[in-house]
Parts: sequence; C-alpha cells; structure tokens
Amino acid sequence: MNEITVPPKPQKSPTKIVRNIGIGIGLLALYVWAFATIEIPWGRIFSERTIANFDRVIPKLFSPDFTFAEKVLNYMMETLFIAFTGSFMAAILAVPFGFFAASNINRNPFLNTMGKWILNADRTFPEILLALIFVVAIGPGAFAGVLAIAIHSVGMLGKLYSEVIESIDMHVVEAMEANGANKVQIFFYGIMPQVIPEFLSYAIYRFEIDVRASSILGIIGAGGIGTLLVISSRNRNWDEVGMILLVIIIFVSIIDYISTAIRKRIV
Amino acid sequence: MNKPLNTNVPTGLVSGKAKLRMNLIMLVVLGLYIFSSVMTNSSVLRFNAEFFENVWVMVVQLFPPNWAYAGVVWGKLMETVKMALIATTIAGLLCIPFSLLAANNIVHNKFLYNFTKMFLNIMRTIPELILAVVFVGLFGIGVFSGILALIIFSLGILAKLISETIEAIDMNPLEAIRASGGNTLQVIWYAVVPQVLPQFVSFTLYVFEINVRASVVLGFVGAGGIGLILRQQINFLSYQNVSTIIVITFVVVVIIDYISNKLRGRLV
Amino acid sequence: MIEFKDLSLVYPNGTQGLKNVNVKINEGEFVVIVGLSGAGKSTFIRSINRMVTPTHGELLVDDENILKYKGNDLRKLRTKVGMIFQNYNLVKRSTVMKNVISGRLGHTGTLRSILNLYKKEDMALAYESLKRVNIEEKLYSRADQLSGGQQQRVSIARVLTQQPSVVLADEPVASLDPPTSHQVMKYLKKINREDNITTIVNLHFIDMAMEYADRIIGMRSGEIVFDGPASEVNEKTFEEIYGRPIKEDDIRGGKDDNEQTP
Repeated sequence: MNEITVPPKPQKSPTKIVRNIGIGIGLLALYVWAFATIEIPWGRIFSERTIANFDRVIPKLFSPDFTFAEKVLNYMMETLFIAFTGSFMAAILAVPFGFFAASNINRNPFLNTMGKWILNADRTFPEILLALIFVVAIGPGAFAGVLAIAIHSVGMLGKLYSEVIESIDMHVVEAMEANGANKVQIFFYGIMPQVIPEFLSYAIYRFEIDVRASSILGIIGAGGIGTLLVISSRNRNWDEVGMILLVIIIFVSIIDYISTAIRKRIV
Repeated sequence: MNKPLNTNVPTGLVSGKAKLRMNLIMLVVLGLYIFSSVMTNSSVLRFNAEFFENVWVMVVQLFPPNWAYAGVVWGKLMETVKMALIATTIAGLLCIPFSLLAANNIVHNKFLYNFTKMFLNIMRTIPELILAVVFVGLFGIGVFSGILALIIFSLGILAKLISETIEAIDMNPLEAIRASGGNTLQVIWYAVVPQVLPQFVSFTLYVFEINVRASVVLGFVGAGGIGLILRQQINFLSYQNVSTIIVITFVVVVIIDYISNKLRGRLV
Repeated sequence: MIEFKDLSLVYPNGTQGLKNVNVKINEGEFVVIVGLSGAGKSTFIRSINRMVTPTHGELLVDDENILKYKGNDLRKLRTKVGMIFQNYNLVKRSTVMKNVISGRLGHTGTLRSILNLYKKEDMALAYESLKRVNIEEKLYSRADQLSGGQQQRVSIARVLTQQPSVVLADEPVASLDPPTSHQVMKYLKKINREDNITTIVNLHFIDMAMEYADRIIGMRSGEIVFDGPASEVNEKTFEEIYGRPIKEDDIRGGKDDNEQTP
C-alpha cells in the first residue's frame, strides 16, 4: 500500500452537534443534581448497627415461621378477596368508560379526549394513596381496599378496553346499520362479540396485578396480608415476615401462571 | 305426511353445550364476586347514603389546597424523583447481565437460563412496598432503603422486558460476527447491542415512569420521599395540606409521563 | 489448501448432513457447490469455518485438522476464513462502516473493539474494501437504508476487511434479483482473481454456476456426486446431480452484458 486512505469523517449538521451536546450537558446536570443532593447517611448505613441488623434479620427471613402459616393464609385469602372484588367491579365499570373513550364510538372529539384524560388521570393515583383516603373517609378495613383497587383499575382497564373497541371491524357495524338494526341491537350483536374475549383477557390480567397491589394495602389499614406485615415488622418478628413473603411469592406465582394459561385460551 | 317441524329448527344461536358452559362460567364468577364482596364487607349494600356522605365530607375537607405548604411538598417531591432516577439508572445497568442470561438465544445452558428466569420471576412477585419494609428493617429509615427497594423491583421488570427483546432479535448478524472470528463479548457488542439499544432506552424510560409513581408511596413505610409527609399530614388531619401534596404530585407525575412518552415515541 | 478426509456429519436430530466426503480444494480456486436444498451444501461450507462441527473424519485447512479447534484457535481460523450469507447478516441499525469494521474483530482486542479504538490502518482497510465494491459513498448510511444488492456488497466488504485466505458464500444471491445477482458474483470473482482468495460458493442456479466457477462440485444427500471443471459441465450433468429434469427455477437468467462490470 503506497498511501493510507482514511475514510472521510462523518458529516454532521451543526444543529445536530449542538443538540447532542445540549442533551449530554442536560443529562450530566440531571445526574449531578440527583446524586449530589440526595441525602443518604452513609455513615449510618455502613455502621455496626447495619451489620447487627443483617445478623438479626437475614437468617430469620430465610427461616420462615411455619406455625404462623395458618394466620398468614387467612389474611392472604382476604387479599385475594379484595383483589377479586375490586377487579370485578372495575371490569364492569370500565365498560362504559371504555366506550366513552373510544374514538370510533364516541364521535365527539371533545368528549372523547375528555374520556381519555379522565382515565389517564385516574391511573396516576396509586391504589395505596386512594386506600389511604378511603381509610380516613370510611374507616379502616377491607372495604377501603376494595374501593381503592376498583377505582385505580378502572383507569387502566378503561384505556385498554377503549383501544380494543377502536380496533374492531367497523364493517360489521355498517352492515348491521344497513340491515336496519338499531343502536342497542348493533351494540349487542355487532360490537360486544368482537370485544368480549379481549375484555375478559384484560380483566384477568388486571386481577393478576391487583393481587400484588392489594397485598400492600394492609400497610395503611385497608385490609389483607399487609396488615400482618406491618405488625410483624414492627415487632421485629422477621421469621414471620419471611413466612408472609413466602406466601405472597407462592400465591402471586400461582395466580400469574393460571391467569396466563386462561388468557392464552381466551384470545 | 305432516311431520312436526320443530325437529329441524335450531333452538338457539349457539350450541346448547357452549351455552351451558358459558352460563356456568358466568354463574361461578358472579358467585365468587358475591362471596368475596361479603367476605371483604364490601357488598353493593355498602354503597348507601352513609357511604356517600362520608366520602363527601372527606372531599370537602380536602379543599381548598393550602398553597403555603407547597414549598415543603416540592422539596420532598424532588427527593422522590431523585430516588426514582437513581434507582432506574442502577437497575438499568444491573439488568444487562441478567437480561443476557435470561435470553434463550444467548445462553444455551438450560439450567442457567431457567434459574435466571425463575429468579427474576420471583423478584417481580414481591411488591416494592414490601421490599421497602424489609430494607427499612435492614438499613433503617431513609431514602437508601427506598432506592434499594426500587432497584430490586425494577430490575425484575426491566430484565424481563429486555430479555424478551433480545430473544426476538435477528440472529443472522450474530452468526456473521462469529464467523469472522469475534469472541462472545464482541458478538454481543456488535450484533446484539445495536439491535436492542432503542428498546433498552425506551423500556428504561418506561420503568422510570413506574418508579416515580412507586416512590411516591414508599414514604408510607419510612423509605423516603413524599409519602412520608403525606402520611404524616393525614395523621395530623391536615387535609388541605394533603390535597396540596396530591395536586402537586399529580402535576409532576403527568409532566414526567408526558416527556417520557414523547421521548419513547421518537425512539422506536 | 482445504482437504476433506472421509468427513461425515450427523446432526443431533439424526439428519445426515455429510456422508464420507473426500475432496481437496486448492488455493485460489473458485469452486461452486451445486445441489438441491437439503443436499448438504450448507453443511459442507459451514464445516470449513466450524459453524457446524463434523462428527467423523478429518478436515484440514492449511494442513491442520480444524475439528479439534476450540476458543482462540477457532476464532483464528474464522479470521482466516471469511463468510458471506444469503441474508447478508448485517446489523441493520448500525452504519455501513461499523458493519465493515466488524470484519476486523478477530484481529482486534475486546476492549479496543468495544471502545471503537481501531488502528488507522484498519479504518483505511475497511474504507478500501468499501471502495473495491463501489459503495464507499454509503459509508455512514444505516445498513437498513440500503437495497439488497448494496447490502450484499457491504457484506463482501466486511469479508475483505477480514483479509481472509478463504471466502465461503452460502447462497449469496438467493435473495437478489437477476441483474444484482450477476453483479455480486462478479465482485466475488474479482476478489478471487485479484487477491488469490480461495472462494467456495453455494448456488443452485446452473447458469450462474457454469458462468463463474472454475470447478463445480455437485452434492446430493450429503454426498459428492460430481466434481470437475466447469468447462466439462452441461445441463445433463446437472440433471444427474439433481436427480430430476432441470426446471425454470434452476436458472437465474437476467445476464445483461451492458451492465457495468466491476
């Protein structure tokens, strides 16, 4: 080779370079801000006390107290009941919301956008925050948990439902209109059969999520296994906490498995 | 010659067997609902005048928000965002080896693959708030415990999403890099990374959104962030401060979601 | 020189890929392997760079039995033996340059390659390779913005950057239209002549095999059923190799002499 020909440098437009530098500086600033201003008492975290905590907590956490199992199972059942009641209510309530937010059914763009916004806003409130408010309003107990689960789930289910509705085959509806069917008839014969399997599938999926969500509600007094968790961790009975964790892992895994299997069959 | 007609006329729109099955399933589900609503003391009968009155009283107390309290809220809310940012970043880095190990087109060792998958599945079953309770027990009250809980929780989600992305990539370039003498790391860097990078960033942003929401409530168990003052103000019955917290948090969460969604839309 | 000595390969599912293959391929030869799909052409080619591992016999590349190679030795072999694929196998989201420089991976340390610290000579070589297949102006385009023929030329450039002594091409034109197919074959032939690179190509188009090959090897059910210079081959030979009459699908056609020759 007589002379090395190096490939030309890539050409980038100046705006792109400026943009990339801007993004870089922005990200860097964000991280510097986050890491420099977060208050972590490192001295306390890496202290004798933490080591003592590890010695006290970890071995017990991994040797669950099986004499505690029956009580845990009872509370876990309550968690499942809360999740089921809440999901069921949400699955029904989300239907009108879903239709309201579907652009091919609700042709009024203003109302339609409003419907979508309501559902989006609803999803922003974590169920445990809703539960906290209900505990204050109507007193502690599973009912507060059910309400929180139901209201929060409507947000996600309504959105998913509306997407299902928007993807249906409108030709069928058109054909029925041409047949002289009225709106109610079209709804039951043209639309529902197209959306029911997906609605069901999403409702079951939501139940799966709600089991997980309702297992923490007890922490703020809204019923279920979280109630026990707070008591056990406050009393530093880590072998009981271990049992609670074990039960949650097993139940959630089993429910996930069954739910996935059912959903595969439906759709 | 006049035979009765009804032998040939169908009696329904679906076969009798299917109809029976459908009705049975509906009955069971409805029964389960009634049973569990009784067990949780939340049957439809609970939605009486007293219920609505109680809720109304609560709602009235929330208004108007106390804007003088906004300064305190802002500080704590930023702590929440920082926790989510740090936790998401660390989880994003940690999930790389996990997602490679949980992708069956990268790891051919069945045992290792199944073990990683199972480990990640178990991690995802534990709600972040429960992780936070355990970490508070270990490291004491504060943001550190909250960040750890968020890391573990989001690691499970991220590694699952990314390992699924890796499993869906085009395997041909990997073959080409291997055929030209590249070692395992080079194959990953040259053929896997470019194919999954956009999704990786997109999923990380998505998990950041989830983490912001999750970190809002971590303070309930003493793991830092805005949840701490939220619970405190509720216990003090300062409902106007509570609504201040809720409104500001809501606005910030919506803005973060919006930005993150815009970014993700441009990525993939 | 590549030598197959009584080489057989049985896949784990019991399929016989190669059956007692004995053949010698000399340096600088342009060999075309023909046969129906499933005849073992692909297994034949992939044995040479050990993308598959024969289960019996010996396979000598430059007088060394490569069947025992592992780890580093294997990677060294693969650096020496370049490969071109039917689906180009480029990383679609990466630039042409990144795809081409990946031919140097076997020569480059892991850390250097991950940090993109290539030697100036390597960069120059990659660029030179792109020039040789006349696609240097697409240097920084993303691979998925290129047409099929252009992508295959990039993959030839990638192989050139590897500076191999052997090039294997597994159905390199199966996904291309006739004129582009001829263009790709011409580039392969050109590098074979200019760099004296032993080139082994799998094809099933008989007209292309006859046009570009020095030597044709016919395969059926994992066995070599024909081996001779391209000049001795006619349609009859192919009917014997394929075990059936020649069909229209077996001919690529589209030979256009007015097309620019590389």
